[in-house]
Amino acid sequence: MIIVAALALALYWPLMLWVNAGAAQRSLDNGAELGCTTAIACATQLRNPVLPAPAQLGNSLRAMSVPPLAPTSVPYNTLITAGETVVGLLIASVLGIGLAVALVGSRAFERVTLPWLIASQTVPVIALAPMLAVVLGQYGVQGWLPKALIAAYIAFFPVAVGVAAGLRSPDPMQEDLLTTYRASGWQTFWKLRLPASLPFLFTSLKVAATAALIGSIVAEISTISFSGLGKMLAENSRASDTLALWVIMLYGAGLGIALVAVLGLLERLVTPWRAGQSR
Amino acid sequence: MRGTAQPAVHLKDLNMVFRGAQGDTVALQDANLDIAQGEFVSLIGPSGCGKTTLLRLMADLITPTGGELLVGGKSPALARQERAYGYVFQSPALLEWRTVLNNVLLPLDVMNTPKATRQARAHEMLKLVGLEGFAGRYPWQLSGGMQQRVSIARALAFDPALLLMDEPFGALDEITREHLNGELLRLWQETGKTVVFVTHGISEAVFLSTRVVVMTSRPGKIEGVVDIDLPYPRNVETRESPRFFELATRVRELLRRGHGFDADD
Repeated sequence: MIIVAALALALYWPLMLWVNAGAAQRSLDNGAELGCTTAIACATQLRNPVLPAPAQLGNSLRAMSVPPLAPTSVPYNTLITAGETVVGLLIASVLGIGLAVALVGSRAFERVTLPWLIASQTVPVIALAPMLAVVLGQYGVQGWLPKALIAAYIAFFPVAVGVAAGLRSPDPMQEDLLTTYRASGWQTFWKLRLPASLPFLFTSLKVAATAALIGSIVAEISTISFSGLGKMLAENSRASDTLALWVIMLYGAGLGIALVAVLGLLERLVTPWRAGQSR
Repeated sequence: MRGTAQPAVHLKDLNMVFRGAQGDTVALQDANLDIAQGEFVSLIGPSGCGKTTLLRLMADLITPTGGELLVGGKSPALARQERAYGYVFQSPALLEWRTVLNNVLLPLDVMNTPKATRQARAHEMLKLVGLEGFAGRYPWQLSGGMQQRVSIARALAFDPALLLMDEPFGALDEITREHLNGELLRLWQETGKTVVFVTHGISEAVFLSTRVVVMTSRPGKIEGVVDIDLPYPRNVETRESPRFFELATRVRELLRRGHGFDADD
């Protein structure tokens, strides 16, 4: 992993010079005042580079990060998006686990519901988001909640499917074992199915977390939004400010990694028996 | 029948037919057998002879299609309601999220036995199978043989009078199996349980049992019963004694007689 990172860094510099050189040459030809004389030298000085030079990126990162809690700073907006994503993920977990229990508990429920669940996931979230925001707005639901709901809308499905598989995962012999104890259905659920489903829950939560993050960012872009990474992306994309877009992207990626890392930590706390186990 | 007490297991003209799309399979045909309390009876036979079916019938995991079956003088369903037997499966079937101790506690948790005695009982059972030092480990940290010993401790934890064992050592290597055979024999003598033991190992069956029930396939039925009169204590010398070979040969002959060498397995 470290080797790959080192390679990417080593390749980044020539790649950056190469993709920016054309634009730099055009600027020079137009007589723009860049404070440099050759296309290669100017490639690291462009105002809106395709790939930013590390120094440029560092400067923008610093400039856009302070003061951290100003409504225009990237960290502040990252927190907004993080909040929407986490709330969305929580709603998705409750909904997903509830659905999984119902799906496993009743064949009839599964037959009736599953096609609709799958259909719900074929609706592109980008088309759904504005409509949902308008509809929810009519009921006075505004601000971050509609975005959290949109995040939950695409995140509940992997949770439901994963947990349902987990609840069905116990070995038939383990089920027979509980039968020989005359265990009630409730006991079989609590002592066998639920704990067996926990590893599945965390695997699907990690998938759901990235889905929820996409959901909240898309929701911010496609609805009238006053804060969040999506809103900043939309603004800076209209202004063609590539440096700002790169910074926002970095924060977004960081947020995604942080979410998955927190889930990984939680997983180790909740399923301690798997620590050190070769999988 | 041996003794005047109620037989631990009684079957009369027992039949089990599995209905399927490709026709019916007679898993067990007109089986007759009485197992006295305190006996160690092995059911031996080739795959598909109905020995596991017979065990599952006794455990009320399936219901017979005909005949009479009593476990401790009661219907299997009632015996299961009263938790009259412990079942040991082919694989240890331990719950991987429970430690060794908590796996042994599982039946006691489910059956709501008094909390005060649970821990002591579970520790006692682990000691009985020689694993008291592993109480805090998780199943994956144990070898296959140790896992199966945990599952035996678990089956004994609620002190059932009858132990039903379905090829518990089938997946283990020969050395571990012979070791655990000795352990099981000791457990049986210490606890005085009735054991019904399914296996396809001839020497294992002869070494462990008071009687070996030989079964044959297609349809599954009882071909014969061999009384094992080997003296106790049984140990390595037992396995090398002439009487052991005679009895093993007798079991083998019964297996061959029923097999007829025309089947493809």
